[in-house]
Amino acid sequence: MPIVVNLDVMMATRKMSLNELSEKVGLTLSNLSILKTGKAKAVRFSTLEAICQVLECQPGDILEYVE
Amino acid sequence: MKTNLIMKVMNVIFWIILVGLCIKTGAILTSFLVSIFVNPEAAKDLYLGFDLFNIYELGLSSYVKVVSFLIVLTGMKAYLAFLAVKLFMKFDLDHPFNKNVTDVISKIGYFALSIGIVALVADDYTEGIVKRGADISQLDWGAHEFLFFAGIIYILALVFKRGVEMQEENQLTI
Repeated sequence: MPIVVNLDVMMATRKMSLNELSEKVGLTLSNLSILKTGKAKAVRFSTLEAICQVLECQPGDILEYVE
Repeated sequence: MKTNLIMKVMNVIFWIILVGLCIKTGAILTSFLVSIFVNPEAAKDLYLGFDLFNIYELGLSSYVKVVSFLIVLTGMKAYLAFLAVKLFMKFDLDHPFNKNVTDVISKIGYFALSIGIVALVADDYTEGIVKRGADISQLDWGAHEFLFFAGIIYILALVFKRGVEMQEENQLTI
């Protein structure tokens, strides 16, 4: 899929673990893992909003279009 | 609650149909073998008064072909009932769309189509022996019913296939 999820990069930049992000965003670890590994088929705006709020970034920092 | 009860009742009904069809297949097969090798009079009562003696009198080859069609079709119907029982065993109302259920429904569709085609061939053959004077009033192959049934089940299988895709997509929406 040409959409790449850069969640791991953002987490590394913010020095935040998956457990910590999971607690702050309110998503299960398995769902976050699905998102991080790029297996997710869709992302809800509410999820994106929560992640951006916690990581203090823009949606474009998490999602990237690669040809 | 009501749906669960209906499902349980239908499961029991399909078990009864399966056992009944297995008994019918076995009984016709046994009577057929008796009528061929022991006593031709057995052709007068193949199964619950099913009389094909007039076809036997017409010629052994015609009799063998008609009863073979009958045995094969009854056996196939028994297998169809087995698939229906299997479907009930795999069906889960909480997660109705899963690959196992879709596979069984597709199999039922293809099998019903096969029964319809075999019944059509049998129908065509018996029409031929009617012209030679056979009485087939007791024979009803039900070819068109099975072809119609196969069409409906095929559409249902497509719906379930799409349902599985949608459920998967829903599960992978974060």
